[in-house]
Amino acid sequence: MNKRAAKAIINKDIRAIGSNIQLWLPMLIVPLVFSLVLPLVLVLPARFTDLSTMGNIEQIVKLFSKLSSGPLQETIMALPLAQQQIVYFTVNYLFAPFFLIIPLMVASIIGANSFAGEKERKTLETLLFAPLDLNTLLWAKILAAFLPATFLTLICSFLYGITVNIAAYPLFGRIIFPEVNWLLLLLWVTPALSLGAVFVNVFISAKVKGFQEAFQLSGLVILPVLGLFIGQLSGVLLVNSIFLWWSGAVLWLIDFLLVRKCGRFLNRNQLFTSQVS
Amino acid sequence: MTQEMIVLEKINKSFSGVPVINNLSFMVHQGEILGFLGPNGSGKTTTIRLLNGVITPDSGRLTVAGFNPVTAGDEVRKRCGVLTESAAFYGPMTARENLLFFADLYAVATPTRRVDELLHACGLTPHADKKVAVFSTGMKKRLGIAKALLHQPEILFLDEPTTGLDPEGARTLLDYIQELNRRFGVTIILATHLLKQVETLCHRFIFIDQGRLLADGTFAELAEKYLTAINLQVETDLEITGTEFQGFPLEKNTPGFLQFKVERKEQIPFLLKALLASGSVYSAQIYGRDLETLYFRIKEEKA
Repeated sequence: MNKRAAKAIINKDIRAIGSNIQLWLPMLIVPLVFSLVLPLVLVLPARFTDLSTMGNIEQIVKLFSKLSSGPLQETIMALPLAQQQIVYFTVNYLFAPFFLIIPLMVASIIGANSFAGEKERKTLETLLFAPLDLNTLLWAKILAAFLPATFLTLICSFLYGITVNIAAYPLFGRIIFPEVNWLLLLLWVTPALSLGAVFVNVFISAKVKGFQEAFQLSGLVILPVLGLFIGQLSGVLLVNSIFLWWSGAVLWLIDFLLVRKCGRFLNRNQLFTSQVS
Repeated sequence: MTQEMIVLEKINKSFSGVPVINNLSFMVHQGEILGFLGPNGSGKTTTIRLLNGVITPDSGRLTVAGFNPVTAGDEVRKRCGVLTESAAFYGPMTARENLLFFADLYAVATPTRRVDELLHACGLTPHADKKVAVFSTGMKKRLGIAKALLHQPEILFLDEPTTGLDPEGARTLLDYIQELNRRFGVTIILATHLLKQVETLCHRFIFIDQGRLLADGTFAELAEKYLTAINLQVETDLEITGTEFQGFPLEKNTPGFLQFKVERKEQIPFLLKALLASGSVYSAQIYGRDLETLYFRIKEEKA
């Protein structure tokens, strides 16, 4: 791995995202809505309105007792007020999928653009004429998508944490976010998932001709699979942390195998030919 | 005997079943400027790509600077600078940023200094901090040349380097190429259509068409072989009727000018003496003893 070249490519790619407002604006607005606006819209009304006037509030609260047993359910059941239960549930469970979607979205957009973007701009040819091994190029492209995705997710979680804690503090008198499971999800499972998504996107991007094609194909192939996975995984937040440790480990293993095995299917001749013909 | 820098032996390459390079063999010696000539689609660019290991041949053997581009591509690419027509730069980045980026890829030791040097040499200093997206064709071409020279390559592949340049730009570039060759012994492969520009620059020429080698040799060697008859145009006050003058066939007869066909250049003095004996001769010029005529002659002969 050629570190100097990899660093140059990562720098260039990340700066290119910054200079393309059409690319970064949606990547910034959607996460901000999820981490700032939506939590406030959901938490503040729950705090200030008298929930007992709502007809079916008892049914909602009853649902909590039917949640699969685990640390989250125990904490919720131990809370004395219905308001607290609802806010706690919203903050610690309902929003979990968003924080899996953010890195995947960012990773998919940047990843799909990685090779396909170079092909469209005819710069891949210039890159391939350089004494740059494909392994370096592949890893640089992976990191150039993975790093912003992870960084943005962490920033968003931080903002989310501050927002919900400030909004909900008067109700609880203590910090309610993050739970241990959340930290596991954010720092162990999500990065593994985004790395996988980045790799698949970068790989597709290298195989097809243009960004549109890459993005469509990745949407078609990956998103349903990931959607299913996210649905299952956020449910796991309810259960214990051991399961999260394991799912993270399995994902990292899959990533490792993907990069090891599929990296070999990339070669200069194929990459070059897919641009010119 | 100078060292062989590039060797192609029986190279074949086809794209989706269509052969582009056909049993192509030639070599380039160290320190040589090779004119690599052929019509559009004749396989020049493909050959350059093969030699840089970015595409692989279907069969045959390649050696560049002692390495096989297929198995030791990065070693080859470290030693080669390439300018191709289709390779582009990053539009949203400035000329300087582009060069600094490639300086990292080519592991240039003192990038800032080298980039400044090349921006100056290629006349791009006033445009160094402009985005490449706003560059004209000629400016992009000069930037391409600067990029090709970043790592001080031993071999330089230039694919149509002067297309899109104005006459001054083309002249400056060709002078610079010659200087690189003289001062640093850089081996240069120059693919072009602009035959007049490279006639005196190249040491040797290779003609290809449809991926096949048509001819290979110095201008003198090729002229000897293919330009058998010579057209001599004479500016004279002599008026001639008929189709010949003292055994020399007349090709063209316009007021003030006569054009003769001469079999060998050794006959020219005799013709001139005969003309001078009967009138005045103000000038005499050989026609059709240039690269362009050679190009068409070779194409005709091999078709």
